[in-house]
Amino acid sequence: MVFIKQVPDTKSKAGVNPDGTIDRARAKRMLNPFDRFALQKAIELKKENGAEVTCVTMGPPKAQEILIDAFDYGADYGILLTDKRLAASDTLATAYALSALAKYVGGVDIMITGLQTTDGDTAQVGPQIAERHNVPQITYCESMKVDNGKVIARRVVEGGHQKLESTLPVLITMANSAAPLAPKRFAEVAAVKEFLHHPEEREKRVKSVNLDDIGADASKAGLVGSPTVVGKTWKLGELGGSCVMYQGRSALDEVNELAEQLQKDDRGIGELING
Amino acid sequence: MANTGNVTVVAEQLQGDLQAVTFELIGAARMLAKKLGVGVSAYLIGSNIEPIAEKLIHGGADDVYMVNDTQLEEYTTLPYRRAILAILKHIGEPPPIILMGATTIGRDLAPRVAAYLETGLTADCTELDIGDYQHKGKADPLKVGTFNNILYAIRPSFGESLKARILGPWKKPQMATARIGVMEAVPTDSSRKGEIIKVPVSFEEHDFRTKVIETVRDVSKAVNLTEAKVIVSGGFGLGVMEGFETAVKELASVFPDSVIGSSRKAVDAGWIPQAHQVGQTGKTVRPNLYIALGISGAIQHRVGMSNSKTIIAVNKDPDAPIFGFAHYGIVGDLYEVVPLLKKAFLEKFKTKGAGV
Ligand SMILES: Cc1cc2nc3c(=O)[nH]c(=O)nc-3n(C[C@H](O)[C@H](O)[C@H](O)COP(=O)(O)OP(=O)(O)OC[C@H]3O[C@@H](n4cnc5c(N)ncnc54)[C@H](O)[C@@H]3O)c2cc1C
Repeated sequence: MVFIKQVPDTKSKAGVNPDGTIDRARAKRMLNPFDRFALQKAIELKKENGAEVTCVTMGPPKAQEILIDAFDYGADYGILLTDKRLAASDTLATAYALSALAKYVGGVDIMITGLQTTDGDTAQVGPQIAERHNVPQITYCESMKVDNGKVIARRVVEGGHQKLESTLPVLITMANSAAPLAPKRFAEVAAVKEFLHHPEEREKRVKSVNLDDIGADASKAGLVGSPTVVGKTWKLGELGGSCVMYQGRSALDEVNELAEQLQKDDRGIGELING
Repeated sequence: MANTGNVTVVAEQLQGDLQAVTFELIGAARMLAKKLGVGVSAYLIGSNIEPIAEKLIHGGADDVYMVNDTQLEEYTTLPYRRAILAILKHIGEPPPIILMGATTIGRDLAPRVAAYLETGLTADCTELDIGDYQHKGKADPLKVGTFNNILYAIRPSFGESLKARILGPWKKPQMATARIGVMEAVPTDSSRKGEIIKVPVSFEEHDFRTKVIETVRDVSKAVNLTEAKVIVSGGFGLGVMEGFETAVKELASVFPDSVIGSSRKAVDAGWIPQAHQVGQTGKTVRPNLYIALGISGAIQHRVGMSNSKTIIAVNKDPDAPIFGFAHYGIVGDLYEVVPLLKKAFLEKFKTKGAGV
């Protein structure tokens, strides 16, 4: 089971305010880039171990887009948890709802999440799902395989990496230094187009559930189930978008213009060179 | 909230070596504790750690709760989780605040403990403070109220250019992880005294479902990345190991006070020792000038160098994330750009000596 999320696309200009904040209503949406590594791992496990891949997500009805898209890469099933009561969930409440969803589906050997999301960047939801399921976890995983009912994984640590072994079931968070998502495969893309036209088949492969369907306690989800709130925000205008770019001309011109600009901007390069 | 209990830091040690982030957290905890009128506790977990407990007192803790067990030799999630829960149980009343480092250990362990306690946790804080808060939310009437002396956990959001103050006054402990290298340690004082409390732990068999087979760690500290005025860094975009000689060192030779940095991927490729790595699992640096050659600018690299005064990036991909936070960017092949850049730097700025 792969946990994925639709996030605002900060690369596209739509919905990104000049000061770098996001207008969520207008922003284009995309699959959280960190989740691409999780999806890739799941597809590999499908090939190597014959696993079935179910992608789950939580969000507004539109978030189903990323589930459909995941079929193109080889996912088998998609489930969207959507419910107005989920709005304003913090990580604890999100992990509660997603773990309730995983329990509802049942029979999961390996849960995989991305390292973090680009709109929350906390890296907390994965471990918190693992806690709710009382299963071991391997975070920052760069590669792994399943062998003899055990997971062997390589994990990033300060100053290096380590090799770990874990029993199943287990929760893995895939690092963004793991293998990137392989391009879509035409055979699968064609098959997706096919089943989307058959309502019965489509219903089997993608569904949408709410908190009541999965037997979750609404008081532990969403705003009311969140022990934290955002009290105040400040704009940091200078983050991003301010890079002076040199491109499209000869490297010599670009470099000379850069050197001139550095001088104009008084960046102190002279002192650094002359010691 | 009546403030009983101490502001608490979960210490991080690797093979008996207390990590710098622990003392930074104790420094932050002292500041918070002063505002709350309480003390600072440290939790120390590991094997053979008795000799280092005192260092936490010298570093600013008032007492240390220690779980010392041979089964805690190497960090794995569940036994360390069990040890923290044992200390919390031993103390009885949860402390007001628990801080951990935003390391591969802290970010692994903190969310699990927070989920177990069903309390709030704020990740990767860059500032911590104490203050008041009035909650007026109509959607969650049960939480309405005025709260005094609560934790302000402040963190940047990378997706947007925002900084947010996160609050969780309803539950104790209020938890946060703090980024490495941003909080300030207090000076060591070896005359400080404090109590060291040994806490027993009883594990369950399923705490050992994960085993460490092997850890490869290069913790050499020989390269002085943190003090150099200029860092020229090479990434996977160098393509070959020799790139560190022909491009990175070549450009660095222009600056007398410079060192060579690298991305993790270049280290992983075996091109350069880990001591040169900049980033979350390497060094946090803030030189006057940081030049990134063939580095994409992944978030873990960024957190280690984004406070550099001037960042220049050379990358052939105009969409590389590094252009989102560098000050100057050249889109092009680094092997073509570097010789020209070296020449331009010398011609424009060199005043002493023979010049070019
Ligand atoms: C828990 C964790 C901790 C991590 N810690 C760190 C850390 O401390 N430090 C760190 O750096 N990473 C860290 N990483 C890894 C990080 O996610 C990235 O994988 C890594 O930073 C990528 O390195 P890179 O930019 O050199 O390589 P890539 O991402 O492969 O980028 C190479 C770049 O070079 C460019 N390029 C290629 N050829 C040329 C050329 N001829 N001229 C110019 N440009 C060229 C490409 O366009 C590309 O942008 C960590 C990951 C995890 C999960």
